[in-house]
Amino acid sequence: MQDVLSVISLGSIYLLFALGMSLTWGTIDILNFSHGSIFMFSTFTAYLALGSGALPFVAVVAIAVLVGAALSVAIQVLAFEQIIKRARTKKNAEMQILIGGIGIAIIPLAIAQHHTKSNPFGLRDSSFVVDTWLVGDLRITNIAAMTAVIAVALWAALSVWLRRSRHGLALRAIGVDAEVAALMGVDRRKLALGTMAVSGGLAGLAGVLFTFSLGAITPESGDTLLVKAFAVIILGGVGSMLGVAFGAFFLAACEVWVLTQTSGSWVEAVSFGLIFLVLLVRPAGVFGRKEVRRT
Amino acid sequence: MSAFYFTNLVLIQATMTGLLLALSVQVPLRMGVFSFAGAGAYGIGCYAGAILVLDYEMGAIPTIVLTCIGTGLVVLVLGILIQRLNGLYLAMATVAFCLIISVIAINGGTLTGGSTGRYGVISDFTMGGMFAITGVVLLLVALSERGKLGRRVDAVREDPELAASMGINVRRYRLTAFAVSGVLGGAAGAMNILVRSAVSPLDIGFPLIVLALTMIIVGGSLSWKGAVVGALIFTWLPDVLAVVGQWQELIYGVIVALAAVLLPRGLYGIYVDTKRGVQRKRRESRAAEKPQPPAGEPASVPAGRLEMEAQS
Repeated sequence: MQDVLSVISLGSIYLLFALGMSLTWGTIDILNFSHGSIFMFSTFTAYLALGSGALPFVAVVAIAVLVGAALSVAIQVLAFEQIIKRARTKKNAEMQILIGGIGIAIIPLAIAQHHTKSNPFGLRDSSFVVDTWLVGDLRITNIAAMTAVIAVALWAALSVWLRRSRHGLALRAIGVDAEVAALMGVDRRKLALGTMAVSGGLAGLAGVLFTFSLGAITPESGDTLLVKAFAVIILGGVGSMLGVAFGAFFLAACEVWVLTQTSGSWVEAVSFGLIFLVLLVRPAGVFGRKEVRRT
Repeated sequence: MSAFYFTNLVLIQATMTGLLLALSVQVPLRMGVFSFAGAGAYGIGCYAGAILVLDYEMGAIPTIVLTCIGTGLVVLVLGILIQRLNGLYLAMATVAFCLIISVIAINGGTLTGGSTGRYGVISDFTMGGMFAITGVVLLLVALSERGKLGRRVDAVREDPELAASMGINVRRYRLTAFAVSGVLGGAAGAMNILVRSAVSPLDIGFPLIVLALTMIIVGGSLSWKGAVVGALIFTWLPDVLAVVGQWQELIYGVIVALAAVLLPRGLYGIYVDTKRGVQRKRRESRAAEKPQPPAGEPASVPAGRLEMEAQS
């Protein structure tokens, strides 16, 4: 039973993190490899802000979310938009975005590594205290409960928004056929910027919650999470909201299971193995539809 | 010259292994296969080299040959498994392959030495052998860019359907790309372990992929010359940047990001474009300066040819 709780708390972190990546990849076709770096750097900024005094939980979250969103938008404007403008074909653009993302990810990482000397950093100085509740013989921390609630609520809100709202419809239209969507009066640039902002904000939120529940993260934590988020998205199917949720909790379940069965050093292989397996058996993912033919 | 050679021996060796590593990603890329399997082969090559030399006491040349055959086969099988995939999906499947190899290396027990890796790999490998292997590889890769074969490879990359309709077996070309990248990656890995004598799980995996990718992106992805430029820059740059000290990584990231945004065809691509541009300008100005020769005179023939060239 305690394992189920671990799955839920780990899965909700994966969900929050992968949600932002899946959103930009599924709609505006940007596989953002600096997402992990944004995750780490927003938390890092919150950590720096805490150096000047104890801040309440909400303020820490707000800082991380805002920094994440701002970073994400800056990367979109300075790099990805320029790449798309210059690229001759969509395939070229995809590749350049991937590489550009990898390059950009190094920059915040280098700054944080320089500052922390690659040591773990945490958010201990905030006025928020992690509590452990005992329910029967189960141990639940308040941060794990909060993370699960926030993750599921945001996921649900985002799914409904994508399904029902006018902007969501426009965004999905871009995902299906960007040209026609533009002809129908969709402002692609504005929507893309908005999507990147939401995605970066989610990364910042995930960063703070993750750091609170673990106690501390290292500057390199973002990279590890990036590969896992990738597995989550591939597992569920690109662009599928149901898929992200399924992928996040399934991956978490597999990892917790492997952790309880082996000495622990094989856990890292789980996400890579799943990526490989899914791509082999069902490249579109469990909930993915057939790729829309774009000409 | 020889003093320079001996003080920088390590960097010269690293340039050659880096070049082969970059080529192992570039050769498939040139056929439109976005695969990082070569970096995985490099990892296998490092460990295979260590195991063959330490546990089976093999000489340098048989070690390299066996490793290349082995990694070529492994990556070919991988290619057969994932040949349905394309673009980013293919790229990520091969990234997963590379990362699984580093997890296996950590968990391999005495065979791979766990997280400490294997060390003390001393063999009879000489610099002459290293230069020879690199030279032969460069020659073969350069030949594959010329003539009929080069045009076919271009066709397979630019328009697979068209290539198939012209009677080119696209599937075979793409599988060959996998096998070649396996052999190249394996050779790079084996050579690396033979000259550096130690390998640990930290040496393989994701950073390796990033390194290979940055080399060919900054250098240029469509010719082996781009890989040479990239390998030279990224092997020698850290040495130059050592002046900058702790901010080396940051500058590295900025360079990669700038290259991805501003130079989609790499430094070599820029060189080719400028050369073509200058040639075209020169031809145009020459054609403009030349007084119109009277009709019927033989002088009009080269002028006409020049004009056609300028248009093409």
